[in-house]
Amino acid sequence: MTALELRAVGVTAGGRAVLADVSLAVAPGEWAALVGPNGAGKTTTLRAIAGLVSHAGTVLIGGTDAAALGRRARARRVAVVPQVPVTPPDMSVADYVRLGRTPHLAPLAREGAADRAAAAQALGRLDLAGLAGRPMGTLSGGERQRAVLARALAQEPRGVLLDEPTSALDLARQQQALELVDGLRGSDGLTVVAAMHDLTSVALHADRVHLLSGGRLVASGAPREVLREDLLGAHYGAAVRVLDDGGELVVVPGRAAVAS
Amino acid sequence: MSRPSVAAALVAVAAVLTGAAPAAAQRPSFPVTVRAANGAVTIPRRPARIVVLSASATETLFAIGAGRQVVAVDDKSNFPAGAPRTELSTFRPSAEAVARHRPDLVVTSTAANRLLPALRRLRIPVLLEPAATHIGGAYEQMRQLGAATGHRAAAARLVARMRRRIAAAVRTVPRGGRRLTFFHELTPDLYSVTSRTFIGRVYALFGLRNIADAARKADAFPQLSGEYVLAANPDLVFLADVKCCGQTARTVAARPGWSAIAAVRNRRVVALDDDVASRWGPRIVDFLRRIAAVVRAARS
Amino acid sequence: MGARRVAIAAVLATAFLGAAATAGVLVGPAGLPARGVLEALGARLPLVPLDSPLSATQETIVFDLRLPRVALGALVGAMLAVAGGAYQGVFDNPLADPYLLGIAAGAGLGATLVIAYGPADAASTLLLPAAAFAGAAGSVGMTCAVGRAGGRGATGLILAGVTVAAFLTAAQTFVQQRNADTIRDVYGWLLGQLDTSGWPDVWLVVPYAAVAAALILAHARPLDVLRVGDEEAAALGVDVTRVRLVVVVAATIGTAAAVAVSGLIGFVGIIVPHAIRLLVGGSYRVLIPLSLVAGAGFLVIADVLARTLLAPAELPIGVVTAFCGGPFFAVVLRTSRLVSA
Repeated sequence: MTALELRAVGVTAGGRAVLADVSLAVAPGEWAALVGPNGAGKTTTLRAIAGLVSHAGTVLIGGTDAAALGRRARARRVAVVPQVPVTPPDMSVADYVRLGRTPHLAPLAREGAADRAAAAQALGRLDLAGLAGRPMGTLSGGERQRAVLARALAQEPRGVLLDEPTSALDLARQQQALELVDGLRGSDGLTVVAAMHDLTSVALHADRVHLLSGGRLVASGAPREVLREDLLGAHYGAAVRVLDDGGELVVVPGRAAVAS
Repeated sequence: MSRPSVAAALVAVAAVLTGAAPAAAQRPSFPVTVRAANGAVTIPRRPARIVVLSASATETLFAIGAGRQVVAVDDKSNFPAGAPRTELSTFRPSAEAVARHRPDLVVTSTAANRLLPALRRLRIPVLLEPAATHIGGAYEQMRQLGAATGHRAAAARLVARMRRRIAAAVRTVPRGGRRLTFFHELTPDLYSVTSRTFIGRVYALFGLRNIADAARKADAFPQLSGEYVLAANPDLVFLADVKCCGQTARTVAARPGWSAIAAVRNRRVVALDDDVASRWGPRIVDFLRRIAAVVRAARS
Repeated sequence: MGARRVAIAAVLATAFLGAAATAGVLVGPAGLPARGVLEALGARLPLVPLDSPLSATQETIVFDLRLPRVALGALVGAMLAVAGGAYQGVFDNPLADPYLLGIAAGAGLGATLVIAYGPADAASTLLLPAAAFAGAAGSVGMTCAVGRAGGRGATGLILAGVTVAAFLTAAQTFVQQRNADTIRDVYGWLLGQLDTSGWPDVWLVVPYAAVAAALILAHARPLDVLRVGDEEAAALGVDVTRVRLVVVVAATIGTAAAVAVSGLIGFVGIIVPHAIRLLVGGSYRVLIPLSLVAGAGFLVIADVLARTLLAPAELPIGVVTAFCGGPFFAVVLRTSRLVSA
């Protein structure tokens, strides 16, 4: 059974088709990367999966039509980590992470012992236990990133949607964040769908890559199949070089492709 | 019988009769039920501690001889001078502050601040006597106050006296000929009164024409524009904003363009007493007499 | 650390309310002896062997005028503070106050119409509060209709509120102007008053305020989730539209009832939640209950001041809340910076 499946999903905004006829499948525990130039529809795809935008077509989460799931049920299965999360500066880290328990509570209920334990566990696993009482506004960029991931973890989802998880981070933090997510994938069996712009990181972590361009899905497959100079050059409108560094792919800006 | 004896006897009889008659009229008739603006109010005994929150009612009560029964009046009741003025407010009346004077009757012109239900809870009879809209209404309030305080006859006499004097004042003004126009100024920014108001009706008794009436679909207290007053060119101008806002014939004449108005040219700008012009007590007569004098002078 | 601070704040707020209520019953222009009042209060409690030394009239003053007045002040203060906090949460706007959606203008118009065109003793009947309530509720309904037509979610609603308020204020000014002889009465109502004619005035407000406060308290956690924005809250499973609707309706009904009986008392709804926020942080689960208690105490104290500063004349309570609230808030601002979180 696939963890996630999109069938002919389309999104229209302002009369324009932002996404058209996108169909793809994600296996459980897989890391699926969505790549493509700006405006290709990566973020829109994630939002459609999360149910934050109305769309044509069907989204299946764990085999069930997402439209039939309630808001809370969907949030229990899928956690969203936005590109620029809203982090209220005067909210404590513990309170922020505890927000992740919301889909597990009845609409007007308070957290129980089990919820508090789950939140505490998430704090511990992301090494935030010492910062639990601090306001979010006093955290560094990396610490805040971990807090957002902790909140997603506290949701105990089966899948995580990441929107450009590294765009605001420096090199060391980028590595950290992606290693973290990869680690969680291994230990919790999380499915990861990430919109990413750094193609080398995509090559490092992703199991499958889906190339979006102009709102359409133009290629799906293993990294080697999709991260090709001709494909990337055509859709990104830029010259790239794909190098093989001892089995690992490295994608760099380059001269126009030379016929080989 | 000799003449002096008859005369003495007649005097003695007259003395007895005149002594007896008022006594009979003032024979206390309590409990009494009075119909005021807040409905039927029953007063069990002749009130001996009256608190008054109305300048007009204060004047009336003292005029009908109930002054000795009044223990406290509000901060605006400045006539007669001997009235026991306190800091009680008609703007934000406080039932508690009123209760402090241990009244057995309260007369008020305002129902603000839930005063009436609060007094009812304290079991203090209260008469609501709001601003009168015509002279007949003012007379009615005087009769109510007379009945409520045990001075029915005195109140009746007051009303009769006022009627006579007002009729006499009106008679002194020659009719016929062109109707004089007037402007009654409430405030320096030219708020006026129409003939639908108490004051407006008083002026109408003299056959005067109110320039504010032309304000079609007039509010009772329209604000006129300076331009309109100049165009209407009233023969008479009455100022009711003397004490409050320092207006006089001189300040009026100094207003741009106003020196051309007939009233200003002929020196018929009249400074009224703000209080007399805004109350509906016994001094209405003074107000009327003043207007009568002005109109007589203007016509001669 | 945070929990301890909250506990201290809760104790302080409750003590504040208790002190305010006591002062409210002991103080007044009737000059009743403090000891006598306390004894009279004690005598009413079961199993207390005290006799009341007060006369019948004095007892009426304490139990039918002052006590309801304190109760009304606490009710209205609590309601306005909670509604203010709720609006600040729902619209994520620190400038939100309970009158945001045009309630003040609508209530003012209703009251003005009754004072101008109603019977002379309208102020003593249910006509005045009913008209003010109808005006308040109607104005919010108008705002929602206009806001929905314009779209744009929360911002659209606020803009609609500004529009409706301006329109209704103009209407109210027009009516007031045409009946200039009632200006003083209207003005007096607009400035707010907590005078009561006894417990019936309090019972008028209780059902609406109780339901409103209960609903808002129940939604304190969803309000906390809304702090991360509509999108993320929706992704966490919150029905943002419904939460917003319920909270707005609840706050509106409670505020309308409070305003209907006591006029437009400003400042409480915006300052009390902010002061609480500065002292114990912005979590609505803490803010809402604390605002309830602190708002009640604040308004009761303000009423005591209104009755005593110029005794036996009374200051309009709206004047006191503004004059006293301003410096008080400035002090809170300063102290909170010294005790930076």
